[in-house]
Amino acid sequence: MEFTLLFLAASIVMLVAWRGSRALALGLYAAAMIACVATYLHHATDTLKLSF
Amino acid sequence: MTQTRAITLNALSLYAVALVLAAAFAAQLLLHELPCPLCLLQRILFAMLAIGPILNIRFGPRPSHYALSLLAAVAGAVASTRQVLLHIMPGDPGYGSALLGYHYYTWALIGFIAAIVLLAAALLFDRQFEDDGAALPPTGGLFAQAAVWLVIGLTGLNVVSTLLECGFGACADNPTVYELLKRFS
Repeated sequence: MEFTLLFLAASIVMLVAWRGSRALALGLYAAAMIACVATYLHHATDTLKLSF
Repeated sequence: MTQTRAITLNALSLYAVALVLAAAFAAQLLLHELPCPLCLLQRILFAMLAIGPILNIRFGPRPSHYALSLLAAVAGAVASTRQVLLHIMPGDPGYGSALLGYHYYTWALIGFIAAIVLLAAALLFDRQFEDDGAALPPTGGLFAQAAVWLVIGLTGLNVVSTLLECGFGACADNPTVYELLKRFS
């Protein structure tokens, strides 16, 4: 679900960058990027399933 | 590099991002290989790469717009490096099929590093940041507008595809079916 929301967030940032104000696009970009990094860190702390 | 030429290059970079997103879709639909969570994150970060060029086309080239794409490229390189390292042990078959000898996440790492180098190279040309007085077409002309809508459309399709794949819960580590379709079939 979180990845669906991240794709949605990226689409919204693109639409705002194309049609809306620059300041709003920059703010939304920052929020989306923080969410991406948080999602990455969440998955990066999973136990590694190594094959040895 | 003039402002007009910079905008043309930014439009071309959007077509490159669209090509990457379309190729990922092609692998998903033609080879029936569903993307894993880290693969999805890399796709999202490729889409985030497009925001800098969109802003450059709409508001004119600025270093801050290139910086947005650089941040996305670095984050994408980190995510794809992690996936390469997850499958680096000898005998590990990797995730998914390989294309020209490399798995998609390895291609993604190469793509993100290429983006970092190209963005740094683009930033070397200071003249693009000065208003050269050229009458730029509104929002970059048809070539640039088509590139922007193509990338937005492909990202929108990914919203639908990811919703079908993961449903309303957490995405599976090794997805084999579209969860939402399974629920309603």
